[in-house]
This record gives sequence, C-alpha cells and structure tokens, in this order.
Amino acid sequence: MLRKFFIQTGQYFLFLRIVFKKPEKWRIFWRQFFVEADKLIVSSVVLVSVISLFIGGVLVIQTASNMQNPFLDRMLVGYMVRESLILEFCSTMVALILAGKIGSNIASELGSMRITEQVDAIEMMGVNSASFLVLPKILSATLLSPLLVLLSFCLGILGGWLVVYMTSIIPLAKYVAGLKYCFTDFYVFYSCFKMSFFCFLIASISAFKGYYASGGALGVGRSSTKSIVISCILILMFDLVITQLMLY
Amino acid sequence: MIRIGHLYKSFGEVSVLKDISIEYRQGECNMIIGASGSGKTVLLKTLIGLMEPDSGTVTFNGQDISKLPYSEKKRFRQNIGVLFQNSALFDFATVLENVMFPMDFFTDWTYRQKVERARYCLERVNVSGNDKKYPGELSGGMQKRVGIARAIALNPSYLICDEPNSGLDPETSILIDRLIHGLTREFGMTTVINTHDMNSILEIGDNIGFLHKGRMLWQGDRHTIFSTDCQELRQFVCANSLARNIMEKEYGGTPTV
Repeated sequence: MLRKFFIQTGQYFLFLRIVFKKPEKWRIFWRQFFVEADKLIVSSVVLVSVISLFIGGVLVIQTASNMQNPFLDRMLVGYMVRESLILEFCSTMVALILAGKIGSNIASELGSMRITEQVDAIEMMGVNSASFLVLPKILSATLLSPLLVLLSFCLGILGGWLVVYMTSIIPLAKYVAGLKYCFTDFYVFYSCFKMSFFCFLIASISAFKGYYASGGALGVGRSSTKSIVISCILILMFDLVITQLMLY
Repeated sequence: MIRIGHLYKSFGEVSVLKDISIEYRQGECNMIIGASGSGKTVLLKTLIGLMEPDSGTVTFNGQDISKLPYSEKKRFRQNIGVLFQNSALFDFATVLENVMFPMDFFTDWTYRQKVERARYCLERVNVSGNDKKYPGELSGGMQKRVGIARAIALNPSYLICDEPNSGLDPETSILIDRLIHGLTREFGMTTVINTHDMNSILEIGDNIGFLHKGRMLWQGDRHTIFSTDCQELRQFVCANSLARNIMEKEYGGTPTV
C-alpha cells in the first residue's frame, strides 16, 4: 500500500515533468487554452452562481438564528457571512464542487482518449501528447479559477442580501454595514490563491489518472472516481496547510 | 525498408515475442498475420516505438529508432503514418481538422494550403464532402478512410496499419485493402499491416510473416501461402472456408481445425 503510494507519487511528478515542456507551437497552445477555459471555467459559471447564491442566503439565516443574544450587534451577521464566504466557502467549498465537475470531465476525457488509442495517435505523430492535451487544461484551470472565487463571493453576498431584503431577518442597513466592517483585502488574495492551488491539484491529478487509464470503460470510470476522491482529500489537507501558512 | 532483428518482448513472466527477425520491403504491403493473442499488436507497437523491446533491433532504413533520444524519435515519427485499429480519430475535431492535425504541428503552410492538402487526401481516399462532420457521425468504413487520409497527410515513407478491416463488412474491407495497396504503390511507402483477415491476406499480401505464440514461423507471399509445410499456418488458413476449398482442390488435404 505504502509502496504503491510512493510509486504513484513519483509517477505523478514525472508526468508533470512531461506536461510542463515547451509547447510545440504556441499558436496551437493558446487555441487549446481558450477551448479548455471555456470547457472548464466558463461552463462552471452557472453551477458556481446557483450554489453561491443559495449558500449566501442560507448563511444569513443560520448566522442570524445563532446570534439571538441582544448584546451582539445584528451588524455582525453581515460581517460573519462575508468572512465565512471569503475565507472558506468561495475557495474550499467551491473547489470541492469543481473537483467533481472539472475532475471527472478531465479524467474521463483523457481516459477515453487513452483507451481508444487517440493518445497513441498523437504520440505517433511526434507530438508530446501530455503537453498538448494536459498543459492547457492545468493552466486554464489554475489561472482563471480566481475569477470563480470573485463571482462566488459577489453572488454569495447578493444571496444573503436577497434573503435579508425579503425576510427582514435583520435590518438591511445592518447587513450592509456588517459587510463593510473591518474588510481585509488580503483575504481576497488568500482565497484566490487557495482556489488557484486547488484547481492545479484537481486538473493535474485528474489528468494524471485519466492519461494513464487502462481497462476499458470500467477503467475510465475507476480513474474518474479515484481522481475526484484524491482531489477532495488533498484539497482539505492543503486547505489546512495554506491557512496555517498564510493566516497565522 | 524496415528490418527487425532478434526481437524479444515479455510482460512479467509472459514471453510475448520470441526472437523475431524479418524484413519489410519498400513499395509492398507487408503483413503480420496470426491468430488473436499471437503477439501481432505487440510486434506492431514495438515496431513503431510505442513499446520498448527487451532486446533486439528495429531499424528504419538502417536507423535504429529505439536508440534515438526522445526529441529525435519524435521527429522521426513524423515520417510514419499509422492507422489504428479503431481509427483513433480525434472526437474533438471535425474530419477536416483531423486530417489537418499533423500539418498544424509540422508544417508552416498557410491555412489555405493545409485545407487544400487535407481535401486532396480526403478525396484520394474517397471521403470528400464530409469536411465538417465529426468522427461520431461517420460509418466505420468512412472512419478508416479518414484515418488513412490523416496517416498520409505528411506524405510519410512508412504506413503502419493495425487491423484495418476489423469491424467492416467484406465489401468495404476489400475497398480499404485496395486503397492501402494503391497508396503503397503510388507513394512508394513501406507498408506494414497487422491482420488476421484471410481475404486481405489473399488480396494484397506481398510479403507475409506468420506469427504463432510469439514466434515468426513462416515468411512468404499470398501465392506461396497454400503450399506451406508449416502445420500451424495451414491450420490458420483453413479456418477460412474459401481458403480451405482452395487448399483442398489445388494442394490436396487440409489439417484438422
């Protein structure tokens, strides 16, 4: 078990070494980069938007119902919602959701290409298949995912605002004041950084599992599942590490 | 010319290729034949460098590609066109883009030149007019033709085909065989075909190597295959009723299958 872990880890880093080679042609690389950006990031906008909107609303209700003490200013509800969103939800929770969507997409796509010999066909043409297929995926997911954090943050705040507006659970002015209270712009950077790192993990691990998939359709399914499970575990582990390093 | 010398390949304890030595000549359809599990695909993949041999040499016009560094091996592969068993067309690209794919990487041609060349290749294999279709919209035979068009896009010196007839009806199968044969003669390529289809063997087999349990037991052509003394090959040939009849009538006696 431990031996297998070390072998897989070694193979993963060797795989990254093949992936991070200079692209054969930059024009083709950029074309693929934007195709992947559309497939991985733009297509996730609706999912992230819907989830963020509802979670923002739920956070307001939950925070307000747990802060009934009259000595606590109701403004703190807005403050707590903002901090919860930016510190954890918009990066870690969204990354866990994306691990399912992006991770399965990448692993199953590459796995299918592997078992139908499309990867071999690219390699036989003299093209670095790993770099051509995987590098644009990793870079587009890593570089553009912070945009999803910002979108998620804005929509989470909006979701909370809508709930406050429609239910008057706390005064609207208090909610807005809480949102503005003690704003730390470093947290936005921290959240964006975390998201970038998590998306690098998701894209590279899923690509690794998919690229080396074997055993027909069943093998593709297995590699897809494994990539999601490993990505989720690593996201939570590195969440702890990055938080300790950057916030404390 | 491709020359294989004393090639061995095994997976763990299982020895798949044992002391294979054979020559494949230019301008001919060279065939690797044998039953399923005889090591044909492993031999083909070793030949094109997708698998490393345990020992032995594979030389293309005297050049041993297994000893080339990765970058040169990559460059050399541009000279080899490969048709995979299930065509291996890229799902993400249209027919025209599939054929243009190698040109995008290895030529500095303008878009118009690439389209012209791709259309010529598609026309040559009789699938013109399907430029904007995706592989999933094509029949198996058409996919094979597009695969061939992509393989010859850069005018390679070598054409390697892994079971080009698998999954095709006999009529389409013969058309694909004749197409490969015609292209081989026309462009003077060294073509290696991996097959167990008797019709193909009899139609275009210029130079045939019979593989049995990892050993090359016989080498000849489609005219000498019926007069062979190799019992395993006679058994393989007689599994096909048409070939069995020919063997019975003209060469007398067939082995028990």
